[in-house]
Amino acid sequence: MNATISYDPYRFPAGLLALAVHLAFFSLLYFGFTWQTQPVRAVSVELWRSLPNVEIAPPIEPKVTEVMPPAPPAPPLQPARPAKPALTKPDIVLPDKKDKKKPETKPVDVKPEKKVETKPEKKAETKTIQQIQQEKELEQAILRERLAIEREAQLAAQAALESAEQAEREKAAMDAALDAMVNEYTAKITAKIRRNVVMPPDVRDDASALFRVTLLPGGAVLSAELKKSSGNSAYDSAVERAILKSQPLPLPADVAMFNRFRVLLLKFRPVE
Amino acid sequence: MEVTADLSFIHLISNASLLVQLVMGLLLAVSLLSWWYIFIKLFAIRREAKLTEEFEEEFWHNQNLNELFKYSKEGAWHEKGGLERIFVAGFVEFVKLKKQQGMDASAVMEGTRRAMRATYQREMDRLESHLAFLASVGSVSPYVGLFGTVWGIMNAFRGLANVGQATLAHVAPGIAEALVATAMGLFAAIPAVVAYNRYAHDINRLSSRFDSFTEEFSNVLQRQP
Repeated sequence: MNATISYDPYRFPAGLLALAVHLAFFSLLYFGFTWQTQPVRAVSVELWRSLPNVEIAPPIEPKVTEVMPPAPPAPPLQPARPAKPALTKPDIVLPDKKDKKKPETKPVDVKPEKKVETKPEKKAETKTIQQIQQEKELEQAILRERLAIEREAQLAAQAALESAEQAEREKAAMDAALDAMVNEYTAKITAKIRRNVVMPPDVRDDASALFRVTLLPGGAVLSAELKKSSGNSAYDSAVERAILKSQPLPLPADVAMFNRFRVLLLKFRPVE
Repeated sequence: MEVTADLSFIHLISNASLLVQLVMGLLLAVSLLSWWYIFIKLFAIRREAKLTEEFEEEFWHNQNLNELFKYSKEGAWHEKGGLERIFVAGFVEFVKLKKQQGMDASAVMEGTRRAMRATYQREMDRLESHLAFLASVGSVSPYVGLFGTVWGIMNAFRGLANVGQATLAHVAPGIAEALVATAMGLFAAIPAVVAYNRYAHDINRLSSRFDSFTEEFSNVLQRQP
């Protein structure tokens, strides 16, 4: 009995402390954690097949032009500067020639002539010889200048032409590569279809059927339309069946290329 | 932020199955009780050690046993330490036996020692009360929490079987609910184990102190005329 009585003073404070410990623990649980229950927000994504190339390009281009000025101006300007002189200098230079002629010829040529006419003839003769020599020298100088200017202009024009030609060549090369690719795949498509053609009897060798085939991305055939009959309806329908049978048609892996295969005009002959 | 935290924390407990909720409630009660006892024992043992220290000092400095006995008799009984009670019990018994005629000295000492031992046992029982509870909380509550967790996870997986497409999002809340039970079990068990070991050690020291005092006091009494 005595023993239990001696506990009295501690019961209440101990109980309070125990509660405090639990409150602390649960508040730690409550505030110490970020209870992540928010569902992940749905993200809508738009899928573009071929457009991004076109759409993304413009925003990049300004950047490129902003960044490029230091670099490209150097190459374009070099050909451009000579090219402009080639066009403009003749206008600018011609007056120069006239000016040169006028001041150089008139003061030197005309005055002596006057002197020659008015004053002693002997001197005039000697002077005329000198004048002739001077004139010749002047003409030669002018000629040299003209030649130099013409050469410059020619060089500039050549440079401009060459740069233009290079660009054209590159373009042509690209186009050629593209065309080659289109041709290659068109040939593949034709070959695949040809393999599936079940030849009807009595088809003339020179028969030729023209089909307009519309494709879907992936090589499925949307429609195969007979544009020009071969004259043998059995052959026409055999080819049409072969076209449908040989789905999916082989297409280049590059999706951007598909635009060139959307509509194909295919010609079929019994004998190639 | 606040709202979601609120929702999820309360959801974790309220969404759990009934058995898991029962386990959690049990563990919460056990944890509260064990912490209560932890604090009670903390204060009680500290006080006991302090009183023992004080009384030993008093006993060895004050050679007059009658004065000391009078002083010890005066105060409130429940405010005294175990050592003081042992002293009072032994002295009372010694005086009573001395008054009786025809008792030989060894019989008197025997009776005094018995009285002191009885008080010592009672004191030890008082000090050790609730320690067993702390020990069993420390050893059992993790298992109880684990049981709740296993049950909760079983439920979570059963729910998963009903859903055609299994994603982590389907299992995770159930497992989190279930793990709360383990967390609570550990929260109850760890302090209980620590406190039990600490208090057992403290009580052991006190008991050896009481023992040695009993022996010394018997010697002192034997020397009495």
